[in-house]
Amino acid sequence: MDLSVSDNVVLMLCSMYAIYMSRNQEEPVYNRIEEARLAHGLSRQELADKVGVHYQTIGYLERGEYSPSLALSLRLAKLLKQEVSELFSLTPFKKGK
Amino acid sequence: MSKKNKFYWFEGVTEKGVKALLSDENPKFRWLRPQRNRRVLVVLMAVGLVLTALGSYRPALKSDFGSSGVALVVYLILAISVIFIVLGGYSLLRISVRSIADAPDELLDERQVVVRNTSYRYAYYAMGYLLLGLLLLMFFGPQLQMFESEGNDGSFLMIASLFAYSSLPSMVMAWRERDI
Repeated sequence: MDLSVSDNVVLMLCSMYAIYMSRNQEEPVYNRIEEARLAHGLSRQELADKVGVHYQTIGYLERGEYSPSLALSLRLAKLLKQEVSELFSLTPFKKGK
Repeated sequence: MSKKNKFYWFEGVTEKGVKALLSDENPKFRWLRPQRNRRVLVVLMAVGLVLTALGSYRPALKSDFGSSGVALVVYLILAISVIFIVLGGYSLLRISVRSIADAPDELLDERQVVVRNTSYRYAYYAMGYLLLGLLLLMFFGPQLQMFESEGNDGSFLMIASLFAYSSLPSMVMAWRERDI
Protein backbone atom coordinates (compact mmCIF):
# COMPACT_ATOMS: atom_id res chain seq x y z
CA MET A 1 0.00 0.00 0.00
CA ASP A 2 1.46 3.33 -1.04
CA LEU A 3 0.94 6.21 1.31
CA SER A 4 1.33 9.84 0.34
CA VAL A 5 3.45 12.27 2.35
CA SER A 6 0.33 13.86 3.89
CA ASP A 7 -0.97 10.39 4.92
CA ASN A 8 2.34 9.69 6.64
CA VAL A 9 2.22 13.03 8.44
CA VAL A 10 -1.37 12.34 9.63
CA LEU A 11 -0.37 8.84 10.77
CA MET A 12 2.63 10.22 12.65
CA LEU A 13 0.50 12.89 14.37
CA CYS A 14 -2.16 10.29 15.30
CA SER A 15 0.52 8.02 16.76
CA MET A 16 2.02 10.89 18.75
CA TYR A 17 -1.44 11.80 20.06
CA ALA A 18 -2.15 8.17 21.02
CA ILE A 19 1.18 7.97 22.90
CA TYR A 20 0.47 11.30 24.60
CA MET A 21 -3.04 10.19 25.69
CA SER A 22 -1.85 6.78 26.88
CA ARG A 23 0.81 8.43 29.04
CA ASN A 24 -1.67 10.79 30.65
CA GLN A 25 -4.45 8.40 31.52
CA GLU A 26 -4.78 7.86 35.24
CA GLU A 27 -6.91 5.28 36.96
CA PRO A 28 -9.98 7.17 38.22
CA VAL A 29 -10.56 7.39 41.97
CA TYR A 30 -14.21 7.75 42.92
CA ASN A 31 -15.20 9.54 46.11
CA ARG A 32 -18.12 10.59 48.26
CA ILE A 33 -16.59 13.81 49.57
CA GLU A 34 -19.46 16.04 48.42
CA GLU A 35 -22.07 13.75 49.99
CA ALA A 36 -20.17 13.61 53.29
CA ARG A 37 -19.46 17.34 53.26
CA LEU A 38 -23.12 18.20 52.75
CA ALA A 39 -24.09 15.74 55.49
CA HIS A 40 -21.87 17.74 57.86
CA GLY A 41 -23.34 21.03 56.61
CA LEU A 42 -19.99 22.34 55.42
CA SER A 43 -19.32 24.62 52.47
CA ARG A 44 -16.34 23.94 50.19
CA GLN A 45 -14.52 26.89 51.73
CA GLU A 46 -15.11 25.63 55.28
CA LEU A 47 -13.93 22.13 54.43
CA ALA A 48 -10.93 23.55 52.59
CA ASP A 49 -9.96 25.69 55.59
CA LYS A 50 -10.26 22.72 57.94
CA VAL A 51 -8.06 20.40 55.87
CA GLY A 52 -5.65 23.14 54.76
CA VAL A 53 -6.21 23.32 51.01
CA HIS A 54 -7.58 25.89 48.56
CA TYR A 55 -11.37 25.79 48.11
CA GLN A 56 -10.94 25.03 44.39
CA THR A 57 -9.05 21.87 45.32
CA ILE A 58 -12.17 20.60 47.11
CA GLY A 59 -14.09 21.16 43.86
CA TYR A 60 -11.46 19.25 41.89
CA LEU A 61 -11.59 16.41 44.44
CA GLU A 62 -15.39 16.21 44.40
CA ARG A 63 -15.48 16.09 40.62
CA GLY A 64 -12.85 13.34 40.63
CA GLU A 65 -10.46 15.52 38.63
CA TYR A 66 -7.72 15.27 41.21
CA SER A 67 -6.70 12.26 43.31
CA PRO A 68 -5.51 13.35 46.76
CA SER A 69 -2.38 12.21 48.53
CA LEU A 70 -2.69 9.66 51.31
CA ALA A 71 -2.14 12.39 53.92
CA LEU A 72 -4.96 14.54 52.52
CA SER A 73 -7.25 11.49 52.19
CA LEU A 74 -6.66 10.68 55.86
CA ARG A 75 -7.30 14.29 56.91
CA LEU A 76 -10.54 14.36 54.90
CA ALA A 77 -11.69 11.00 56.28
CA LYS A 78 -10.95 12.07 59.86
CA LEU A 79 -12.76 15.38 59.47
CA LEU A 80 -15.76 13.82 57.75
CA LYS A 81 -15.80 11.00 60.35
CA GLN A 82 -15.50 8.20 57.82
CA GLU A 83 -13.01 5.50 56.93
CA VAL A 84 -10.82 6.21 53.91
CA SER A 85 -12.33 3.14 52.20
CA GLU A 86 -15.81 4.58 52.74
CA LEU A 87 -14.81 7.88 51.20
CA PHE A 88 -12.69 6.69 48.26
CA SER A 89 -12.96 3.75 45.88
CA LEU A 90 -11.46 2.52 42.64
CA THR A 91 -14.95 1.43 41.53
CA PRO A 92 -17.99 3.72 41.27
CA PHE A 93 -20.12 3.97 44.41
CA LYS A 94 -23.64 2.58 44.20
CA LYS A 95 -26.32 5.23 44.48
CA GLY A 96 -27.79 5.64 47.95
CA LYS A 97 -25.13 3.45 49.63
CA MET B 1 -0.23 43.19 65.20
CA SER B 2 0.27 41.92 61.69
CA LYS B 3 2.74 39.16 60.97
CA LYS B 4 5.91 40.11 59.14
CA ASN B 5 5.61 39.79 55.37
CA LYS B 6 8.13 37.15 54.27
CA PHE B 7 9.93 37.81 51.01
CA TYR B 8 10.96 34.81 48.94
CA TRP B 9 14.06 36.08 47.13
CA PHE B 10 14.54 33.02 44.97
CA GLU B 11 10.95 33.01 43.69
CA GLY B 12 10.51 36.78 43.67
CA VAL B 13 7.21 36.80 45.57
CA THR B 14 5.99 37.86 49.00
CA GLU B 15 3.93 35.76 51.37
CA LYS B 16 1.16 38.36 51.67
CA GLY B 17 1.14 38.97 47.92
CA VAL B 18 0.63 35.29 47.10
CA LYS B 19 -1.96 34.81 49.86
CA ALA B 20 -3.91 37.84 48.65
CA LEU B 21 -3.98 36.46 45.10
CA LEU B 22 -4.93 32.97 46.27
CA SER B 23 -7.93 34.34 48.13
CA ASP B 24 -10.80 36.02 46.32
CA GLU B 25 -10.82 39.00 48.66
CA ASN B 26 -9.61 41.44 46.01
CA PRO B 27 -12.15 41.68 43.17
CA LYS B 28 -9.92 43.99 41.13
CA PHE B 29 -8.42 41.19 39.02
CA ARG B 30 -11.46 38.92 38.87
CA TRP B 31 -11.76 39.61 35.14
CA LEU B 32 -8.50 37.72 34.62
CA ARG B 33 -9.87 34.47 36.10
CA PRO B 34 -11.95 33.08 33.18
CA GLN B 35 -9.86 30.74 31.02
CA ARG B 36 -10.86 32.60 27.84
CA ASN B 37 -9.47 35.90 29.18
CA ARG B 38 -6.32 34.16 30.37
CA ARG B 39 -5.82 32.60 26.94
CA VAL B 40 -6.25 36.01 25.27
CA LEU B 41 -3.58 37.34 27.61
CA VAL B 42 -1.26 34.45 26.71
CA VAL B 43 -1.70 35.12 22.98
CA LEU B 44 -1.08 38.86 23.49
CA MET B 45 2.03 38.09 25.56
CA ALA B 46 3.32 35.68 22.90
CA VAL B 47 2.74 38.30 20.18
CA GLY B 48 4.46 40.91 22.37
CA LEU B 49 7.47 38.65 22.86
CA VAL B 50 7.73 37.90 19.13
CA LEU B 51 7.48 41.61 18.28
CA THR B 52 10.11 42.41 20.91
CA ALA B 53 12.42 39.73 19.48
CA LEU B 54 11.85 41.02 15.96
CA GLY B 55 13.17 44.39 17.15
CA SER B 56 16.61 42.87 16.81
CA TYR B 57 15.96 41.72 13.26
CA ARG B 58 14.31 44.83 11.93
CA PRO B 59 16.97 45.91 9.46
CA ALA B 60 18.88 48.91 10.68
CA LEU B 61 16.39 49.83 13.41
CA LYS B 62 18.86 52.05 15.15
CA SER B 63 20.19 53.69 12.02
CA ASP B 64 16.63 54.54 10.92
CA PHE B 65 16.61 57.12 13.66
CA GLY B 66 19.88 58.62 12.56
CA SER B 67 22.77 59.35 14.84
CA SER B 68 21.68 62.65 16.42
CA GLY B 69 21.06 63.02 20.14
CA VAL B 70 17.30 63.43 19.62
CA ALA B 71 17.17 60.23 17.53
CA LEU B 72 18.97 58.33 20.24
CA VAL B 73 16.48 59.59 22.84
CA VAL B 74 13.56 58.53 20.59
CA TYR B 75 15.13 55.10 20.18
CA LEU B 76 15.68 54.75 23.92
CA ILE B 77 12.08 55.81 24.70
CA LEU B 78 10.80 53.27 22.16
CA ALA B 79 12.97 50.51 23.62
CA ILE B 80 11.99 51.31 27.22
CA SER B 81 8.28 51.49 26.23
CA VAL B 82 8.45 48.04 24.65
CA ILE B 83 10.10 46.65 27.77
CA PHE B 84 7.44 48.22 30.02
CA ILE B 85 4.58 46.92 27.85
CA VAL B 86 5.97 43.38 28.00
CA LEU B 87 6.65 43.85 31.73
CA GLY B 88 2.99 44.90 32.22
CA GLY B 89 1.82 41.80 30.33
CA TYR B 90 4.12 39.66 32.43
CA SER B 91 2.71 41.13 35.66
CA LEU B 92 -0.90 40.58 34.53
CA LEU B 93 -0.03 37.03 33.56
CA ARG B 94 1.38 36.30 37.01
CA ILE B 95 -1.74 37.77 38.61
CA SER B 96 -4.02 35.76 36.29
CA VAL B 97 -2.59 32.49 37.65
CA ARG B 98 -2.57 33.80 41.25
CA SER B 99 1.26 33.65 41.29
CA ILE B 100 1.00 29.86 41.58
CA ALA B 101 3.74 29.50 38.95
CA ASP B 102 6.17 31.44 41.15
CA ALA B 103 5.02 30.57 44.65
CA PRO B 104 7.05 28.27 46.93
CA ASP B 105 5.61 24.93 48.09
CA GLU B 106 4.76 26.18 51.58
CA LEU B 107 2.23 28.69 50.24
CA LEU B 108 0.45 26.19 47.98
CA ASP B 109 -1.64 23.10 48.57
CA GLU B 110 -0.72 19.74 47.04
CA ARG B 111 -2.90 20.13 43.91
CA GLN B 112 -1.46 23.57 43.23
CA VAL B 113 2.06 22.17 43.60
CA VAL B 114 1.20 19.47 41.02
CA VAL B 115 -0.28 22.11 38.67
CA ARG B 116 2.80 24.30 39.06
CA ASN B 117 5.21 21.43 38.49
CA THR B 118 3.34 20.24 35.38
CA SER B 119 3.42 23.79 33.98
CA TYR B 120 7.18 23.93 34.52
CA ARG B 121 7.61 20.62 32.70
CA TYR B 122 5.79 21.90 29.62
CA ALA B 123 7.53 25.28 29.88
CA TYR B 124 10.88 23.46 29.96
CA TYR B 125 10.04 21.68 26.69
CA ALA B 126 8.79 24.91 25.13
CA MET B 127 11.94 26.77 26.20
CA GLY B 128 14.03 23.97 24.69
CA TYR B 129 12.32 24.48 21.32
CA LEU B 130 12.78 28.24 21.62
CA LEU B 131 16.49 27.76 22.30
CA LEU B 132 16.68 25.42 19.32
CA GLY B 133 15.08 28.16 17.21
CA LEU B 134 17.61 30.70 18.49
CA LEU B 135 20.48 28.35 17.71
CA LEU B 136 19.14 27.82 14.18
CA LEU B 137 18.93 31.60 13.80
CA MET B 138 22.52 31.89 14.93
CA PHE B 139 23.70 29.28 12.43
CA PHE B 140 21.55 30.10 9.43
CA GLY B 141 20.73 33.78 10.05
CA PRO B 142 23.88 35.08 8.37
CA GLN B 143 23.34 32.84 5.33
CA LEU B 144 19.76 34.04 5.02
CA GLN B 145 21.01 37.63 5.37
CA MET B 146 18.78 38.20 8.39
CA PHE B 147 21.50 40.03 10.23
CA GLU B 148 22.37 43.60 9.40
CA SER B 149 25.74 45.01 10.20
CA GLU B 150 24.09 48.11 11.63
CA GLY B 151 21.09 48.45 13.87
CA ASN B 152 21.18 44.93 15.25
CA ASP B 153 22.95 44.20 18.48
CA GLY B 154 20.60 41.40 19.54
CA SER B 155 19.47 43.32 22.64
CA PHE B 156 15.74 43.00 21.85
CA LEU B 157 16.15 39.28 21.22
CA MET B 158 17.91 38.89 24.56
CA ILE B 159 15.18 40.85 26.39
CA ALA B 160 12.45 38.75 24.70
CA SER B 161 14.26 35.54 25.61
CA LEU B 162 14.56 36.58 29.25
CA PHE B 163 10.87 37.46 29.43
CA ALA B 164 9.95 34.20 27.67
CA TYR B 165 12.05 32.27 30.17
CA SER B 166 10.35 34.03 33.11
CA SER B 167 6.79 33.97 31.84
CA LEU B 168 6.50 30.57 30.11
CA PRO B 169 5.37 28.62 33.22
CA SER B 170 2.65 31.21 33.87
CA MET B 171 1.69 31.20 30.18
CA VAL B 172 1.38 27.39 30.16
CA MET B 173 -0.65 27.44 33.37
CA ALA B 174 -2.92 30.27 32.19
CA TRP B 175 -3.57 28.36 28.97
CA ARG B 176 -4.11 24.87 30.40
CA GLU B 177 -5.97 25.30 33.67
CA ARG B 178 -9.76 25.55 33.57
CA ASP B 179 -10.12 26.98 37.10
CA ILE B 180 -7.37 28.89 38.76
